[in-house]
Amino acid sequence: MPESTNQRITSVGIDIGTTTTQLVISQLTIENTASGTLVPRVEITDKEVIHRSRIYFTPLLDRDLINAVEVSKIVETEYMAAGLTPEMIDTGAVIITGETAKKENAKAIIDALAGFAGDFVVATAGANLEAIYAGKGSGAALYSAQRHQVTVNIDVGGGTSNYAMFHEGKAVDSSCLNVGGHLIEFERQGDRITYISEPAETALKHRGQRLQVGERVTLPQLRPIVKAMAGCVVDVLKTSVHTELTKELLMTPPLQLAHPIRKVMISGGVADYVYALNGPMTMAEVTAFGDFGPLLGWELKVCLERDGFVLEKPEETVRATVIGTGTQSVNLSGSTIHLQENTLPIRNVMVISPFTSLIPETPQSIAEVIKKEILRLQVDRFEGIVAIAMKGPRTMSFANIDILAQGLLLGMHDYLCKAKPLILVVEADCGKVLGQCINASVNKPLEVICIDQLEVDNCDYIDIGKPLMGGRVVPVVLKTLVFNR
Amino acid sequence: MILKAKVYNKIFAFQSLKEVMAKANEEKSGDELVGIAAKSASERVAAKLVLSNLTLEDIYNNPVIPYEEDEVTRAIYDGLNLRIYQEIKSWTVGYLREYILDHKTTGEDLTHISRGLTSEMIAAVAKLMSTMDLVFGSKKMRVQSHCNTTLGVPGTLAFRCQPNHPTDNIEGMLASLKEGLAYGSGDAVIGINPVEDNVETVTRLLDTVKNFMIKWEIPTQNCVLAHVTTQIKAIEKGAPVDLVFQSIAGTQKANDAFGVNAAILDEAFALAQRKGTATGPNLMYFETGQGSEVSLDAHLGVDMMTLEARTYGYARGYHPFMTNNVSGFIGPETIYSGREVIRADLEDLFMGKLHGLPMGIAPCYTNHMKADQNDQEMGTLLCAMAGSNFFMGVPGGDDVMLSYQDTSYHDDASTREILGLRPLPEFEKWLEKMGILAKGKLTERAGDPSIFDK
Amino acid sequence: MTVANNELEKVIIQSVMEELAKKGLLSHKGKDQVMAAAMMDTPLVPNTESEEMVTFPPQEEMQISNPFNADAVKAMKKLTPARIGIGRAGTRPKTMSLLRFLADHAVAQDAVFLDVSEEFLRRMNLMSVQSAATSKDEFLQRPDLGRRLSEEAVKIVSEKCEKNVQVQILIVDGLSSTAIEANIPDLLPALIQGLKSAGIKVGAPFFVKNGRVWVQDHVASIVNSEVIISLIGERPGLGTAESLSAYMIYRPNENTVEADRTVISNIHKGGIPPAEAGAHLTDVIQQILAAKASGVKLNQQK
Repeated sequence: MPESTNQRITSVGIDIGTTTTQLVISQLTIENTASGTLVPRVEITDKEVIHRSRIYFTPLLDRDLINAVEVSKIVETEYMAAGLTPEMIDTGAVIITGETAKKENAKAIIDALAGFAGDFVVATAGANLEAIYAGKGSGAALYSAQRHQVTVNIDVGGGTSNYAMFHEGKAVDSSCLNVGGHLIEFERQGDRITYISEPAETALKHRGQRLQVGERVTLPQLRPIVKAMAGCVVDVLKTSVHTELTKELLMTPPLQLAHPIRKVMISGGVADYVYALNGPMTMAEVTAFGDFGPLLGWELKVCLERDGFVLEKPEETVRATVIGTGTQSVNLSGSTIHLQENTLPIRNVMVISPFTSLIPETPQSIAEVIKKEILRLQVDRFEGIVAIAMKGPRTMSFANIDILAQGLLLGMHDYLCKAKPLILVVEADCGKVLGQCINASVNKPLEVICIDQLEVDNCDYIDIGKPLMGGRVVPVVLKTLVFNR
Repeated sequence: MILKAKVYNKIFAFQSLKEVMAKANEEKSGDELVGIAAKSASERVAAKLVLSNLTLEDIYNNPVIPYEEDEVTRAIYDGLNLRIYQEIKSWTVGYLREYILDHKTTGEDLTHISRGLTSEMIAAVAKLMSTMDLVFGSKKMRVQSHCNTTLGVPGTLAFRCQPNHPTDNIEGMLASLKEGLAYGSGDAVIGINPVEDNVETVTRLLDTVKNFMIKWEIPTQNCVLAHVTTQIKAIEKGAPVDLVFQSIAGTQKANDAFGVNAAILDEAFALAQRKGTATGPNLMYFETGQGSEVSLDAHLGVDMMTLEARTYGYARGYHPFMTNNVSGFIGPETIYSGREVIRADLEDLFMGKLHGLPMGIAPCYTNHMKADQNDQEMGTLLCAMAGSNFFMGVPGGDDVMLSYQDTSYHDDASTREILGLRPLPEFEKWLEKMGILAKGKLTERAGDPSIFDK
Repeated sequence: MTVANNELEKVIIQSVMEELAKKGLLSHKGKDQVMAAAMMDTPLVPNTESEEMVTFPPQEEMQISNPFNADAVKAMKKLTPARIGIGRAGTRPKTMSLLRFLADHAVAQDAVFLDVSEEFLRRMNLMSVQSAATSKDEFLQRPDLGRRLSEEAVKIVSEKCEKNVQVQILIVDGLSSTAIEANIPDLLPALIQGLKSAGIKVGAPFFVKNGRVWVQDHVASIVNSEVIISLIGERPGLGTAESLSAYMIYRPNENTVEADRTVISNIHKGGIPPAEAGAHLTDVIQQILAAKASGVKLNQQK
């Protein structure tokens, strides 16, 4: 088996937001980092962004509908600029974020991008995941690890503010608030309102203030409403007893505030105004891009500093999410796994986690639990492929691993009769031996993909890519991520 | 040359100086393994008796490994001051012992005659010395050297901070470094043993430590203990190296096994002078240990202690900043018990100093030896009393990369306070500035690695 | 134990006990016992039947009082297995650090100096032979003796072992009997299952006492297997005494050098778990059989 010491894969990240659409292409270096006599340990050792797109305004058909065809043209143009064809893209993710994610755009985009986004690019959405990608892209995750301080990244875009809390490099909490720079639109560099979004109406109502489309506003008129929104953003960081407005604007459960927060980073389109030396002085400055982003940024800074938070500068502001998406969406399996297949890559594998606590003691009782879960989720009606996810065998003894193998085969018997592959995702480092035990117990050809050292507990779907490094590892993309709930 | 002796009613005859040298040694498992150790306690004393009566000239005329066959022998003989040798060549080894211990003989006197002594002469006299003799003799000699700071200043005791990590993880290494500094360890050098001996790893570690030294204004030197050829490549590529490290041994054959010879060491020294980051003039760091020639099967029938002395003879031509002895690291087939380690450490400290080397000792042990923490602590205190210039500093005494035990950060601070010794002057100022040390004692704040994490 | 006979003493004892209990130095049950003994006129007798015992606090526990940045210390402890963030008593280690160090060294020494138990060998159904080293002392001081079988062992192996198999498995105590007892029960069945599933002919595994790696060359010269694999205890560190290595070689002979061996190390529950290692070793052995080479020669063929 030929074994190269490293391999490079090309990953694309596409971020389609309320206001802007961006794309980055990165090269990930995958290497065996284990020395000499150790069992190989394949890891991503380097991430280099090789192409950054222009920042496009998200093409819209009307206020609620994204122009998917135009989006695919952007992707095509940028691939050309980078000198890449879709076939050269190994992995990555499209993330549809902010207000656009609420609207029914996801499917149109996935369809439109199917041909352009390479063989193995997934579409995904979800405020929590977006928040985490943004925090990784902004450098907040790394900062929390290097400085040993809890750091919250808030990605403030056109429609939403996405919070991700990092502790020692790991995302520990996330939330999403319906506050962004684009919630009220104006004539560019003017003072006439052209659009007021629903959350902006809510904020106005709470303040007892009235603004209407077509109306002209002054800075003193606009500032209190923007201040109120900025206040909500900070409210989520400060307390779990929220104001009525904050409660209404929260799109997900709030931050749990399990750790005290001092360090905050702001990324997203509004971020540059947070770190500016002066706030906007005129309406023309506020509405330079047809929204109130510059004012929101400034008021956010004022609010955060007033409440004692320390603002740290991110490495990326407006591109944080797309860079996070492009470089952080891929996970690698453990480096001793069992692959006996010819179907990879597989997309949209539905994840089933039948074992809520310790795995039962006998194959029969293990099988029962699996069968029950299959029945509950009506897996038999599901056309696609499923993966059984678990923490690991009851103990790491060979006997218990073998019992688990027997139980899995028994429990999955009906499913496997449909000539589908057996896909197992284990957290503990026992993928190879579990696969071996299964292989030793079946007497007919069976495709087995048994991968380990991956936590997929809370995700709904995974994509498993083509094996890398001579079959040592597979890349895996998790489709949704929800914390603590 | 008389090679026969009578101990009371028993007569012992020896065939060669080499045999006498081996049999005069205190018991060590490596000499037993090679089959050259004394067969009885009486024979051991007989060998010492014969040795005491030999002149330095006898030893000069009978090198244990011929000049023509061995680079180490050549380095020893070529580097000898013949004028001084001529003055003392008629001394017996027994007289040399008494001269060393005599109250009238000062450290300067010893440094002077040192230049006329071959390594075998130095080994010979050490074989006649008891534990307290060795401590007494060692204490007289004080060898100073200078890289970025001065090592060996009277009244000081320095430490190498050794923040090794089992996978060369940078953050993990830094964690151990911070802990060490917070205990006042690291004035001799911040020296890391890498797992991966390649230019990338070595450069990354050197850069990290150097940047840390600059950021916190730490007056010390950096070093990564990779093979010398790897360090040469790293320096060529611009890596910041204060000290160039290499393990060396007492025979050409053993040095071949280490992949090192005079040409390579010359190149490394020259490169450190031209492209290194240190002030100098002392730019080398050597490690040695009794038994390495045995474990490499390159002893040529010579005893471990004599080979160790020859290693020092080889080292002194490079004017190292520091020479560290790790006899306890080699293994039970060469040094088996705590008692053997302590004896070897004291012999090595004495022999190294009499070679004019800035000696430090690692009174260490491995888990497959019959030695424990008590042995290590006894060895440490004895070596400190004998005036070792430095020891190692390992977190909690447990090196998680090399899997052996050595002096801990705690031991470092303890030894200083027990014996009233201070850190090197520049480093002490820095410790005071950081609030780690006050009046030579650890402060309340000391021992907390997070003082570097603001 | 002095009997408390006035109120003040009672209060003092009570508060001391509570403080000790709070710090985890005295269990609540223990506290009650001491209190009871102090208050009543009965002598304190050691309760040896109790389930309670003294043990070490968790390793990650913060040992530094008033650290500058407690999060940083905690994080640093996670970044390295080194003994950092352990605090001090004067310049000396805290009592728990000292005792933990002694315990770890004791465990390491026991792994080196104690033999694999007879009961274990019976349970694993392993035939046992000995190297030419007759004691642990001799084994440690004479590496040459551990590299060959005793004369008696030569006879036993010649008589009892199947010849000309594809793979012969040896279990060798090496420098850690603990590693053998901790890993073999899960590693061996996984390895044998893997090899048999691959249709490879395996000789009955057996145990060599006081053996070193090279003893495999001697055994191979008798059983004439294609590949010989030694599962041998590694020199224990203070971190773990359970680490095992696998040394594999294809048809060793008198010209064999170290570089001809393929080695997988760090097999234990904190490294690569033994059962998983068994499955991985199956792959490696298949590669060796296919290439008819091991060690550096195998790597060159890759």
